[in-house]
Amino acid sequence: MSASSSPDRSQGRAGALSPQQDLRALLWCAGAFLAAVLLHVGRIPLWASATAALCAAWTVAIALRRMRAPGRILKGALALVLVAAVIAVFHTLNGLAAGTTLLAGMGSFKLLEASARRDRYIVIGTALFLLLAACLSEQGLLYAPLYAAHAWLCCWALAIVTHPESTLGNRAAGLLALRSLALALPLTVLGFLFFPRIAGSFWAFPSGGATTGLSDTMSPGAISDLSESLAPAFRVWFDGSPPPPAERYWRGPVLHHFDGFTWSRPPFHGSSFGGESVPLGRAYRYRITLEPSSQHWWFALDTVDGSPSTAVRLTTDHVLVSERAVTEPVTYAAVSHTSVRAAGSLPFAARHLDLDPGPSDRNTRAYALARRLRSQAPSDGAFVGAVLGFFRGGGFEYTLTPPQLGADSIDDFLFSTRRGFCGHYASAFVMLMRAGGVPARVVTGYLGGEWNPIGHYLLVRESDAHAWAEVWLEGHGWTRVDPTAVVAPERLTRGIVDFLPDATSAPERLLLRVPWLVSARQGWDAANAWWTNRVIGFSLNNQLSILHRLGFAAPRTRELIWMLACGIGGWLAVTTWQFGLPRSARPDRLARAYRRLCSKLARAGAPRALYQGPLAYTEAIARRRPELAAAAAPLLAAYAELRYGAISEETSAKARASRVADFERRVRALKPAARRARASR
Amino acid sequence: MAAATQSLLQRRIAAWFLKRQGPDRLPIELRRRRLYILPTRAGAGFAVMVFAMLIAALNYGNSMALLLTCLLTGFGLVAMHQCHRNMVGLRLLSASTQSAFAGEHGTVSLVLANESPLPRYRLQIDTQGAEPAACDLPPRSTCQLELQVAAPARGLVRIERLRISTMHPFGLFRAWSWVHAPIAFVVFPRPRGTRPVPVHLGGGDGQAREPGAQKDEWLGLRPFREGDSPRQIAWKAYARGAPLLSKEYAASGAQQRVFDFGQLEDLQTEARLEQLARWVVDAEARGESYALILPGTQLSPEHGPEHRRRSLTALALHGIVPSPGSP
Repeated sequence: MSASSSPDRSQGRAGALSPQQDLRALLWCAGAFLAAVLLHVGRIPLWASATAALCAAWTVAIALRRMRAPGRILKGALALVLVAAVIAVFHTLNGLAAGTTLLAGMGSFKLLEASARRDRYIVIGTALFLLLAACLSEQGLLYAPLYAAHAWLCCWALAIVTHPESTLGNRAAGLLALRSLALALPLTVLGFLFFPRIAGSFWAFPSGGATTGLSDTMSPGAISDLSESLAPAFRVWFDGSPPPPAERYWRGPVLHHFDGFTWSRPPFHGSSFGGESVPLGRAYRYRITLEPSSQHWWFALDTVDGSPSTAVRLTTDHVLVSERAVTEPVTYAAVSHTSVRAAGSLPFAARHLDLDPGPSDRNTRAYALARRLRSQAPSDGAFVGAVLGFFRGGGFEYTLTPPQLGADSIDDFLFSTRRGFCGHYASAFVMLMRAGGVPARVVTGYLGGEWNPIGHYLLVRESDAHAWAEVWLEGHGWTRVDPTAVVAPERLTRGIVDFLPDATSAPERLLLRVPWLVSARQGWDAANAWWTNRVIGFSLNNQLSILHRLGFAAPRTRELIWMLACGIGGWLAVTTWQFGLPRSARPDRLARAYRRLCSKLARAGAPRALYQGPLAYTEAIARRRPELAAAAAPLLAAYAELRYGAISEETSAKARASRVADFERRVRALKPAARRARASR
Repeated sequence: MAAATQSLLQRRIAAWFLKRQGPDRLPIELRRRRLYILPTRAGAGFAVMVFAMLIAALNYGNSMALLLTCLLTGFGLVAMHQCHRNMVGLRLLSASTQSAFAGEHGTVSLVLANESPLPRYRLQIDTQGAEPAACDLPPRSTCQLELQVAAPARGLVRIERLRISTMHPFGLFRAWSWVHAPIAFVVFPRPRGTRPVPVHLGGGDGQAREPGAQKDEWLGLRPFREGDSPRQIAWKAYARGAPLLSKEYAASGAQQRVFDFGQLEDLQTEARLEQLARWVVDAEARGESYALILPGTQLSPEHGPEHRRRSLTALALHGIVPSPGSP
């Protein structure tokens, strides 16, 4: 132990920082903050990100004495401009995006005056709040490592901002922060598993998420290009085998009303969508995890038996409508049948609704066609077959990029363009059915899905969106008819992107075709599914089922709190014990070998007394156990030489290490004779 | 009034700590029993922030936000352990002091030792009336910290208690320990006054004499004593292998001064002591021998740093410590 000689700048008076140390703290603080703003690029306006970058640059310039710090008036004016800009862009200060922008701007201005440690703490706190805002807006698996890295950066910056004058280097500070976070991980898991979730919210921001997925209207004539999104719509886990591909119709909103151009869902009519049904055949039991869409639809396989949740209404046309828009991933279990039989006749109101073919002054050629085909057909069923035959033989083509249609969209499609996708076919088919006097309706939803062999689930994408028809046949009830399948039968068994590869971009095609890329993508999707299901969608029910598995008969929130308290107590005990371990040095190799030697000799009957050094020990052995001395003396002498001899000063470290290793070997090889009979004592 | 209550409260708290721990004798090791830890203001802010995050996470039922909240909670608790660990097992080996004149700063030098294989950072020592000092301690090392303690008036400055503290690593917690070791230093009276130096038994011209002047009468060699000037040392003899010896001269002309407290009866006590300090400092600077006579104390004529210290200490403690004696 030697007294530290020359006091460097880390020693001595506390408090005062040199300009370099000050700059170091400032750079880390600004770095953590800028990284937080970067997390939001794309969500907040570009000018907000630019402001943060400019303020960081300005701050550094101030620290380098290149520029002057802004005065109080300028700072006040900047803050007012910021608030005005946020209101101008978002029309509110409330809401996640507006709040985030405001926070980013205020943090930028705080950075300008962050000359004291306290101000820098505030900037780092702002960065952590921005991280929270990022968590609230985007929860994907892809983001989790990004968020973790940013949390690390903030803790890292915290260490440096606290003591920029310390000899703790940047790398050591980073490792320290990382180790602290790693030690906090068990507590994170405990808290996540057992912190009681509250149903409902204390307050609500206006949700700003863009709506995706199916809407409650469909105008095939207006769409000339179906948006192709590979984003997942939902994932399905089946109990038992999944239905065959041709039966994978996932029902969404059913559209009844037609104004000649657009199909829509009329306001709720009580039970008038009508037509009770009796399920037939096999029941499919499954669990669905729905991705957030900001819509109210919950999807289910063809005809669902009942509502999976009290907050979701099952309409008489078998659509699940949630009270709240789906803004978080939601998981539910359901039972469905893929075929049904009518339990009675169609109520009058429902028949009236589903027989209206739209204004009679439009699509007149289609009317005429329907009347002609109906008059030739002996029954409703034969009429359906005749219309499908018209599609089959009429030179129709399935395409995702159809030409735009005029005001008489059905006529236009049936007699001039003859190119379209599911929406066009379902729309035209239902209109013809109605014009021929058969009740029919358009069903929108999804068709098919990709089986993920890794996670054993079906992935249904936005690109699997589909529209088909249901017609009421007396005695059978609502019967599914898919006119698209007549034109393009492959669409039933193959995904749309598989079927029409030109609809996707080149990299997407690669992802969907190259085998190892496909399995990598499926692995990634399985991980995403796990994440969405088990982490993001983790709810009070999941918590209670964990408690149930842990042996609580009827777990409630109180048991959760108990588990949480015990968990935190245990974690605290372990960490306290871990941190409190005596910080003694581990003995070096030589000392360990010497200890081994002594214990071997002790077992042979010559223990070393505490006060004996190696040489005194040798003498003691020679005196008391002379037969051991021959083996022990050279080893003890070697130890004395290695430990205390001049050799340790003069030879190189490498040579010494090899001698120590040699000593270790010799100790290991030593086999002293066991103690003789006690009589000798 | 409020300030008085506060200081009374502080004194009561300090007394409680002293009673709880008992007085210390250096060296001491900072064990758990004497370590205290509380969140700093930043730590309290951190807690409030994490709580706000918890509310937000629960409100939205957002799992990612809840994970972040739990992670930061755990991080805060680990930070507490890290802070505590930075202190526990630290040793305060010794404390030494340097006297000062009134109005200046006395120095308290403290040696901290880290005997563990892990480094410690930003260990700060402070005491009342001093700027805090801080140092980092690599594994198995020591460091010396100097506190400049204000010395407002002559007498004895006792360091009632020292605080060793740290906020390392994240500034969320401060761990500290009180040390009640007997540390004190003497504050000499400020050398002040314009009275002429009294001449006693002074033969010759009474002029000031240069130290080590050539005219001195050679007496012989005597063993080196601490405080002897390097000029006095017989370097030639030392080079030949002899022990350190000092050359001794008779103070030729018997330039001896006697500084008597009683001579200055027209001054107040403090002013007298300051005048005496002035004379002592000046005489020492000129290398003259001087005697000091205080009520109850007499120092025989001599010179050198040790004599100067003894004289100034006698002046500092006059009327404060009943029987200063020789230190």
